[in-house]
Amino acid sequence: MSMILRGLKVALIGVAAGGFLNVARAEAQQRAPEGPIEITVGTSAGGTPDLIMRQLGQALNSTGLVPNPIVVMNRTGGGWTVSNNYVLSQAGNERLLYAIAQPMITTPIVQGADNAYEKLTPIAMLVSGDLILYTHADAKEGTLKEVVERAKKEDRSVSVGGAQAGSTDHLVTARLEKAAGIKLNYVPFDGGGTALAAFLGGNVDMIVLPPSESVDLLKSGQLKPLAILNKVRRKEEAFASIPTAVEQGYDVLWGQYWGIAGPPGLDPEVAAWWSDKLAQVVETDAWKALVAQNYWTTEFVGQSGAGAAYEKVYQEHLEALREVGLAKK
Amino acid sequence: MDFVSGLADGFSVVLSLQCVLSIIVGVVIGQIVGALPGVGGSAGMALLLPVTFGMPPIPALMLIAGIMYGSQYGNSLSAVLLNVPGDSSSVMTALEGNMLARKGQAGKALSIAAVSSFIAGVAATLALAIATPILSKFALKFSAPEYFLLAALGITATASLGGGSAGKAFLAAAFGSLIALIGVDPISGETRLTLGISNLLDGIEFLPVAIGIFGVAEILVSLESQMKPVVMPAKLRDLWPRWKDFVDVRWSIFRGWMVGFLIGVMPGTGPTVATFLTYAVERRFARQPEMLGKGSTEALSSVEASNNSAATGALIPMLTLGIPGSASTAVLLAAFILLGIRPGPLLMVQQYDLVWGLIASMFVGNVILLVLNLPLAPLFASLLKIPYTYLASGILIMSMVGAFATTMNMFTVGIMLFFGGVGYILIKAGIPRAPIILALVLTPIMETSLRQALTMSRGSLSIFVSRPLAAALLLVVLATLILPLANMWLLRRRHAATAA
Repeated sequence: MSMILRGLKVALIGVAAGGFLNVARAEAQQRAPEGPIEITVGTSAGGTPDLIMRQLGQALNSTGLVPNPIVVMNRTGGGWTVSNNYVLSQAGNERLLYAIAQPMITTPIVQGADNAYEKLTPIAMLVSGDLILYTHADAKEGTLKEVVERAKKEDRSVSVGGAQAGSTDHLVTARLEKAAGIKLNYVPFDGGGTALAAFLGGNVDMIVLPPSESVDLLKSGQLKPLAILNKVRRKEEAFASIPTAVEQGYDVLWGQYWGIAGPPGLDPEVAAWWSDKLAQVVETDAWKALVAQNYWTTEFVGQSGAGAAYEKVYQEHLEALREVGLAKK
Repeated sequence: MDFVSGLADGFSVVLSLQCVLSIIVGVVIGQIVGALPGVGGSAGMALLLPVTFGMPPIPALMLIAGIMYGSQYGNSLSAVLLNVPGDSSSVMTALEGNMLARKGQAGKALSIAAVSSFIAGVAATLALAIATPILSKFALKFSAPEYFLLAALGITATASLGGGSAGKAFLAAAFGSLIALIGVDPISGETRLTLGISNLLDGIEFLPVAIGIFGVAEILVSLESQMKPVVMPAKLRDLWPRWKDFVDVRWSIFRGWMVGFLIGVMPGTGPTVATFLTYAVERRFARQPEMLGKGSTEALSSVEASNNSAATGALIPMLTLGIPGSASTAVLLAAFILLGIRPGPLLMVQQYDLVWGLIASMFVGNVILLVLNLPLAPLFASLLKIPYTYLASGILIMSMVGAFATTMNMFTVGIMLFFGGVGYILIKAGIPRAPIILALVLTPIMETSLRQALTMSRGSLSIFVSRPLAAALLLVVLATLILPLANMWLLRRRHAATAA
């Protein structure tokens, strides 16, 4: 994806830096939607995609880029099935946007249902998030290699706490098993919060957390980081010393991605308008402060590349879910 | 004493016009959304999150938290008056409170609910101020094996809920468990019993079933006969409870507060489970256990104390670890994050003013809620002077709105009406309805935690005895199973002896 991304960034900078003619031409193909805008989210209030969309709405309004009032609606149920069905039923609705997050794409794979992502009108991919593998601060093992050595002695002797079967932490566990040639004991706790509680209570050996949810626990000495699952280390002081899994010889790369799409058949001019506004909002100080505060990384892909970006997320997850035997496709 | 200076600083934060106004707005909204069936505190909080965007963080969080505990006062209103629980933690309130209302004691029931809520709310806030660090450690000791045994205890201790035949109660509980299994398998992600209906993927919501099986079923039964109007005291003054009524329930409030708080602190349960366990405790310790299910003020005050105390206790894992223990605390966590603050182990240090201000605001908010609720109780109770023929249609509409509001999906209204029919059949067959609700809430906890526990132990049952807390809980569960049997056996022997 990074190649496409880089290409797009160049293209975007080109547009931004272009003369009057360029801007005028871009505007000719755009049309602003009227009235209040709903951003549909498939998680309940407080879930990461919900928080991102609420903060995005706030940033779009507070910077004055989008005058329309923006409301985030939580249409929860069936792991984004309810929200998928709702958005698919709203073809052409110009007052609707849809949050793109992994479960929105993976649930149809797990349930063998029709894909929703390919019917949506692509608008943008916005941000990505890192994942860090942790063990207990007082664990005997100090590095990922030592944990792997212990796991090699006896199958399923090292446990990983996670949210649900097929969720991000499950897929990360499966990737690590494959990369290290070990068998781990994945325990789904029916929610990220209960998984963290089970981990902190010493009931499981490892947990996968995003930086924002782990920074305070790390600073207060309750976690020992094993690996960050990106290609590069993070630059913030709190995380800079955490080596990547790849550095340690295990090819485990996994992250989280969020974006925005429109309902099926959304007028391309409206989609272009949104893509343009989102391209602008990610350059604002308000957005940059949000990204820094949550330890995300802006990876903006506009309208022209968003469809391919969704497709890439889909293919990666299809493959990973097939590996853990959960794919019905 | 750390917490004394903390609280003093907290109150100095609260005593500004902006903060006091925020608290008032929060608790009044909480009271209203709590009273609306289906719209629980968490939904109300989520709806009002955007309102706080322009506000400074401290009053904003006081407002959102006010909605959270305010709704625990409001939800007893529709439960007592209409037998339609405002949210899932007030099902037991409906069970006892509505019985009282039918005896013409709605004003008394509402006042007792408000006072119990107040005492437990204040005591829980005090416990929050004093014992947060210790309790957050205790909460982490609880994991899958303990949750399984706790849920099992909920079922064994209340097995014959509603009285009558144990066989019928068991039948009802089995039916409840069956309904609870509909949806996506919590461990493997497979779908089960959904009949290919995508609306059933999330399983059957608990609240619409409760509304149908209690509220709607009663209306159906009432169609068969001319309902006697509720006898109401003529004077408004007679709607007030007497001092003695409060004295009588003081220990129930204490028990409700304690059980509620401990259950609330654990991040895997929540206020609904707390009220069930409190009810079980009350069956054992109430001075008049025979009144339970027939309008017991002891049980009413206990469950009302319990759900308030649990809602406050759930703040402990949220504030100290960033782990939300209930739907409401999850939204409160979202409010923190949207304001740029992430709760975690360093919150108490980094946001000293905010945390203590919030705790102090809860004392103020509880006082406002009591002042709001006590004088209004007789007024609300007068609602029952409306002839039942008219009231019934109102209850039906409220029930449907409540069911719709839980999921924003008409399918849920259908579920609610379906279970209204089921409830009617159950009443006719003399099968108790409470065990269905109990099983519906506890089965998912039992199932997931049993399977999690066994995954953790790689299939070995020893996990239930090797952990001290689990072993202790196991003994209690076994005792609740063996004691009634031993009692029966002793009685039979005595009968046999006297016969011979």
